[in-house]
Order: sequence, then C-alpha cells, then structure tokens
Amino acid sequence: MSEETIIVSDSPDAEINAAIQKKIGWGFWLAISWVILITLLAILAPYLHLKDPRGYFIDIDGNGRPPYGPSFEHWFGTDKDARDIFARTLHGARISLIVGFSAISFGFLVGGTLGIIAGYFRGWLDKIISFTFIVLLSFPSLVLAIMLTALLNRSLFTISMILGILSIAPVGRLARASTLQFSDREFVLAARQIGASDSRIILRELLPNVVIPMSALALLGMAVAIVAEGGLAFLGLSVSQGITWGSLIQIGSDSATTLENAPWIAFFPILLLFLTVLSLNFAGDRLRSHLDVKESSL
Amino acid sequence: MNDSDPRTTTPLLEVSDLKTYFRTERGTVKAVDGVSFSLQRGQSLGIVGESGSGKTVLSRSIMGLLGRTNLIREGSIKFNGQELMGLSVKEMRSIWGQEMSMIFQDPMTSLNPVMKIGRQIAEPLMLHLGMNKSEARLTAEKLLTDVRIPEPQRRLNQYPHELSGGMRQRVMIAIALACGPTLLFADEPTTALDVTVQAEILHLINEQRVDRNMSLILVTHNIGVVAGNTDVIAVMYGGKIVEKAPTKTLFSSYKMPYTEALMRSIPKLRQASHTRLATIPGRPPDMVNPPLGCNFAPRCAYARPKCLVEEPGLTVTENPEHVYACFYPVGSPEYHERKLELSQRSDLLSTGGQN
Amino acid sequence: MKFWMQRVAMAILLLLSVSALTFGAMNVLGDPLFNILGPLAGDVNNPKSAALIEEVKAKYDLDKPLPVRYVKWLGDFATGDMGVQFSTDGQPPVSGLIKERIPRTITLLIMAQLLAVMISIPWAAITAARAGKRSDKISTMNSFFLLAMPNFALAILLKYIFSLKLGWFPLTYKAIDPYFERLRQIFLAAVTIALPAAAVYQRLLRTDLITTLQQDFILMARAKGLSRSRVIFRHAIRPSMFSFITVVGLNTGGLIGGSIVVETVFRIPGIGSSLVESVLREDFPVVLAIVILIALAFVIINVLVDILYSIIDPRVRR
Repeated sequence: MSEETIIVSDSPDAEINAAIQKKIGWGFWLAISWVILITLLAILAPYLHLKDPRGYFIDIDGNGRPPYGPSFEHWFGTDKDARDIFARTLHGARISLIVGFSAISFGFLVGGTLGIIAGYFRGWLDKIISFTFIVLLSFPSLVLAIMLTALLNRSLFTISMILGILSIAPVGRLARASTLQFSDREFVLAARQIGASDSRIILRELLPNVVIPMSALALLGMAVAIVAEGGLAFLGLSVSQGITWGSLIQIGSDSATTLENAPWIAFFPILLLFLTVLSLNFAGDRLRSHLDVKESSL
Repeated sequence: MNDSDPRTTTPLLEVSDLKTYFRTERGTVKAVDGVSFSLQRGQSLGIVGESGSGKTVLSRSIMGLLGRTNLIREGSIKFNGQELMGLSVKEMRSIWGQEMSMIFQDPMTSLNPVMKIGRQIAEPLMLHLGMNKSEARLTAEKLLTDVRIPEPQRRLNQYPHELSGGMRQRVMIAIALACGPTLLFADEPTTALDVTVQAEILHLINEQRVDRNMSLILVTHNIGVVAGNTDVIAVMYGGKIVEKAPTKTLFSSYKMPYTEALMRSIPKLRQASHTRLATIPGRPPDMVNPPLGCNFAPRCAYARPKCLVEEPGLTVTENPEHVYACFYPVGSPEYHERKLELSQRSDLLSTGGQN
Repeated sequence: MKFWMQRVAMAILLLLSVSALTFGAMNVLGDPLFNILGPLAGDVNNPKSAALIEEVKAKYDLDKPLPVRYVKWLGDFATGDMGVQFSTDGQPPVSGLIKERIPRTITLLIMAQLLAVMISIPWAAITAARAGKRSDKISTMNSFFLLAMPNFALAILLKYIFSLKLGWFPLTYKAIDPYFERLRQIFLAAVTIALPAAAVYQRLLRTDLITTLQQDFILMARAKGLSRSRVIFRHAIRPSMFSFITVVGLNTGGLIGGSIVVETVFRIPGIGSSLVESVLREDFPVVLAIVILIALAFVIINVLVDILYSIIDPRVRR
C-alpha cells in the first residue's frame, strides 16, 4: 500500500484507543466514586440512624396492609412484612461487598501465587498447576459454587472462600502468562546473574510487574464475585439468614403477584447491584486499557 | 490522439481545480490541491509521482471512492457532461463498475479470499446489466478468455489463493472490464507483480483500452511504465500537477527539474550494471504545512530564492498541450548556469577524492 | 491426526479428574449417610438404628473405601445407572429424572444460542459500518449496561415487562402443553440468556469486521458499485467469522451456568432448576449426576470447538 492509502483509511478504533491511552477519563473517576460511596454506606450502615433492617413497620392506621410503596417514611418502600427496603438494601451491601472483596483477595493470593510459581519455575510444577487450573475451569463457575455450597455450611467465611476458589484459575492463568513473559526480561536475567535467590527475584522483580497490570482484573473480578454471590443468594444458597442483595431480590420476585403489585421490593436492590457492577466493570475496563493488559478471562 | 474526430471535442472527463483534503489530528492534509485536466474518450493519461504525491488520492477522489468522514472535497468533476461533485454515494454506485472502474495495486489483497472467482466477476454483471446467473457466468468466462486466462471455465470455480499473482491481476482486469466502462483507472497495476509479468499486464490493459475505446488513467510512481502506454503524462508533486505534456514531448523536452529527476531514476538497459541508480534526495513535502513557494524547491538543485517564497503557476510552452510549473525550467539560462556550477563542484569533489 | 488424539486424551484425563474431584468432594465434605437416614445416622447406640445404618451402608456401598466406590460409581455412570434419588424413595431413578428434564434445558440453550447469533450478526454489521459514530458509541454503552446486569436481575426485569405488564408471554411452563406452546413459554428465558451473550459476540464480530472493512477487497467491492449492505453481508461478514464461531462454540458451555438461574426464575423444570432443588433437598446422587453431566458437556464442547477450529483454520495445528 502506498502512503496515501494509510492516510485515507480511517480507523476509529485506533483513535479511540489512543484517546483512552492518554487520559483515563472522568468516567473512571465517576465509577470509582460510586464504588467508594456504596462501600462507605455499607460500612456506616449501622451508624446512619437507618430503620432496623429486621424490624417490622406495620402501619395500622394509614396505609392498610403492607407492602407499602416508596414514601417519605420508607424511601424505597417496604416488603410484604413491612420491612424497610432502604435500610435492608444498604445493609445488604455489606455481605455482597465483603464477599466480593474477600473472594477476589483470596483468588489473587492463591491464584496469583500459584500462577507466579508455575510461570517462574516451569517444568513439572507448571504442568501440575496448569492442569489444576484447567480442571477448575471445566465447571461452569456457578455449578461449582452451587455444589460446594451444598456441602458446606453457608457462613460468610465459606461463601467468600467458595467464590475465592472460583477466581483462582482465571487469576492464576493471567499471572502465569505475564510471569512467563517477564521472567525472560533483562532485569530478571540480570538479577539472576548477580546471584539473587529465587524468592528475592519473585518478590522484588516479578511481583510488582505482574500484579500492577492485574489491578484492573481485581475490579472486574470483584464485579464477577458480587454477581456470583447475588446469584447464590437469589437461589437461597448464600449466607444463611443473611440480608444480601440477591436474597432481597429473591424476596421481591418469589411470586408473580409480589413482582406485579410491589415491583419496588426487587427493583431497588437490582438498581444498586446494577450500578455497583456497572461501576466496577467500567472502572476495570478503563483501567485495563490504560494499563494495556492484553488478556482477560475472568 | 484523434483530434480530427468531432465526437472527441467534448471531453469524457473534465476535472477543474479539484481539491481533496483530509482532516487529521495533526491538521488538514492537502493531498490533492487544485488539479485540473481533461481527458478525451479513448485517450490515456499517465499520472506519475513519488508515493505521497497525491496521485492515488487523486484517482480515488475523481471516482468518489474516499470515505466521507473528515474529508473535504472541492472543485468540479464533469464526466460525460455530468457534474459528479455533490452526487450521493447512492448515485455514484450506478457509475461505479458500470461507467468507471478501477484496477487496484495489489491483486493478492484486492480479491475476496473466500469468494469464488466466477462470482466475483459475475457480481457487477448481475447488478448493473441485470443478467441472470447463467448469462453472467457465460460472460465471465468470455471475459477471462479476453484477459488471456487459460482454462477459463475451471478458473470460475477457483478461489483467488489458487491463482498466481499475474493471474489474479488478470482476474481483476476482467472484473474492471466486465460492464464495459468508458473510463478505467489503473492504480499502480504492476507494482506488486514480478518484473516478467509487468510488461504483459500493461500490454493487456492497453490492448483492451484500444479494443473497447475506453479512456485510461494509469497511476504509477515509475515513469518508465507510462512511457509506451499513454498519450499524455501528468507529473504530480505535492498534490499538484507540476508538468503535463503528450508523452513524446515530455520525454524529449521536459521542463521541470522534478521530471528530470524522475527520468533519471528509470533504470536503463545500456547502463553498466554497477552504475548507481539516481535517486531524488530528501522527502516529499509535509502536506499539512506545505512549503511557501514551489513545493519541490527544498529538494531542487536548481532552486533560487524566488522559488522558496513564490509559487510558480502553470506556464504554457510553444506546444499548447505542454504545461509546467517552474520559474527556471530545464533549458533556461538560470538552469544552465546552475548546472555548470554543479558539474564543476562534482568534478572538484571527484578529483579531490582521487588524489 | 496426532493433534486430535492429544486433544481427546487430554479431554478424557480432564473428565476423570473432574469426576473424581466431584465424587470426592461429595463424599468427603458431605455425609451421604446423613442424607439418606437423617438424624438416625447419628444414633449408633440404638441397635435398631445401627442395623439400619449397616443395611444402608451395604446397599449404597458406603462401607467400601472411597477409591473402590469411585470406580464402581464410574462404571455405573458410564452404563447409564446414576443411582437412586435419596429424597423420594428412589423413584424415579436419577437417570429417569434427568432424561425427563434434559431436553428442556437443551431446547432452551439452543434457542438462546440461535437468538444470540441472530441478534449479534446484524448488530455487529451495523455498528462496524458506523464505527466511531454516535450510534456505534451508544451501542457500545448499551452492551456495557447489558453485561453489568446480572442474569437473575435481567430475568426479573424481562418477566416484569413482557409477562406481567404486557402479557405477551405466559408466566408458567406446562410440560403437558403442545410443543410450540412450550417454546413460547421458554422464549423469555432464552432471551435472558441470549442478550448478554449477543453483546459479547457483537463486540468480537464488530472488531473483526472493522479490520476486514479496511481490506483492499472491500474497496474493490465498493468500486464495483455494490450497495453498502451487500458489501458488508456478501464480502465482509464471511472472512470475519473465524473467531466469532470459536467464541460462540466455547460460550455454549458458559450458557449452561446461566440456565440454572434463569430456569429457576421462569420456573422451567430443566436440569438447572433441578440442581438447585436437589441441593436444597440435599439429594446427593442427583447433585452428583447433574454436576458431572454439566462438566462433561462443558469439556466435550470445548474439545469439539477446538477440533472444529483446527479444521477451519489449519494454522492452529502448527
């Protein structure tokens, strides 16, 4: 092709990417602000003078039988048992966010370690670890989660662990791939030359280079874990007796009449869940193109 | 040229002051900057220039094939008396393939890799001439025979990757000829081909032009390619036509130093094989911020202060068909003066080197 | 040939590992004896209970070591004997339950996959033709929204709008209804699975189409005077389909997971909702059978797509 044709062909994608490369954009900060806001609300929920999330607010005089629609008294309305949806949704954020955060932390800790070990030492160790990842990825994630919740007691800890196990393989694969890539670079070879120990090379040379580009994956992974917890809770298989977004949505949609007559019961938790997942996805996506991480499989 | 033929008095194509700019992040690229010429039916025009001179954009701009985003296109293009400028893409489609068609540079990438040859040739036939499948197939077979492809019937069912580069270029010519266009563009039709096939393809294009009484615009960077195949040659530099003349006149009495430089870059058989090919020093001008004066001045050995500040217009020679844009053309006193200086200097250098 | 053998050998190894892991987890983490007998299982001092425990242990081979039970179970499973349901006195057997329910899930998945492909191809074609323009940016935003909506939430929204408010689709699935009526009953469920999948396919195909549209042969097709839609659908789509086909194939496995939630929302008695029910009832053989079946389908689909892809594109084999 001659030079002119290169000028002629307009490639909008390249331009868009170039624009993203330069600045991460206000959208990223908006998304991050929402995540911080919802996290703060969740942490501070018990101190915000909200209504008791487990209390019943039957209004005998005014409104007749619950569920009550959104009003000044109950911003998001109440459910069939006259429990305040606003308070419950903010309290529900606690479990959803704790599970999401601890799951992806566990995934990074275990998956990241395994991936770096596999990529750095290679050989049979790599074969075993990689095969483990493949086995873990052979279950659709929700199926594996359901199977494990069926076998264990459903405490906050076990649910977090179960969802953490699900994120081991995707995180581990990416960590392994970028370790493979970095361990042939000059600075690692140089460190080896001067006789640095394996653990020193891994901790000082590889870890920062492998983990920082993966920070985008942490945001995306947290979104996946929150959705997975929501799915489990919706099926009645998450933290038992816990208030979470998934279980609130389930209460609001357990029968067609509830959904038809009091859609707010399900819709407000759906809205918060959606906005949170959207923000995490968006921020993760922006961060990824900013850091230019090629693969994402979470 | 058939000046005696009365029908040729209204030109088939008349381009006046055509400008084609692209808006980019760096600024506006003036790829074609005020080009005018006309072309009679059956006539052939060679457009010669280095890459970056705007010749490909010129041909695509005339045909209207450029993407519309960030494009500025001004001037007038009259085809068969009809003004093309301002026509919608929809209106242009009935002209494309039927009235005007184009042979592209690279036959390796310009044919659809997952579509059979036969269908690619039949497509414009069915679209423009309303043929049914079997008619189109017969015509396609005949077209393949016309472009001298052996075993045409078998080729119809083959995919492009099963053919050699030269064969694929012949297929492309067949597609371009399919609906009997009156104007054929050939954009560097031989650049991507083996040297041995190049002459055959040029010969084929020219032969078909004569047989079908088509006009041809042949775009190339190699002035040697147009030598025997066109009636008129236009030399382009920096988005402008800098010299235009009937082929014979141009070769015998070119006026632009740039044309001279292009001529010197043609490999000659008589030259000893170890002689270095003359190349033009420097790079084509930046089309976002073109030079103030003559575009070629920064690279021109004969440039004088005037060339750097003032832009030369087109001057007509004693032959009205021959125009050029230069203050101190080949043959002028200033040219000879500078040439003498240059040869003295190079003598000095070479003798100095040997001592 | 060697390449295929390797893939198949790998798949078999994977299936054995997956089944061993599932079987092991079920038996080590869970307590099958308790699942069958309930509180009686702990009542070892009562001679009557103890006898019952021994009887059940012998009946379900619970007295044998784990590897032995695994091999026996594997043999039974391979021959179609998936044991009995604990929660219903063993009737119908697990294989009977699955045979009844699996066609519904398969129908749902095929319908979802067809919808996703049918939505994504024109969607990708339109956005690729207008890449970088406003409509393309709006579409990118829409797919972002779609992918941020968890499937159970999307299912509820669709059910609320199209079943409850507009009344276009029935609320319940009835196994006795005629076939086409049942297709209508699972349509919304299929849409729920299809929409996010379509967004993923669209993104991929759009990128590949944009690359194809910059090829020389597209300019050539335009120069023939072909209309825009003809250029895209006749010339650009086919050479852009390679990675699309792969991802559609691989994603079939992923959709199985989605069907669990969606079947539950739309009350479709398929494999997915059956898994949830049996987990809640702690019915160990049903959970085991379904998990293994899903993993099996998942692995086999992946291998098939791998092999298919190597047929389409021989470069992969190198």
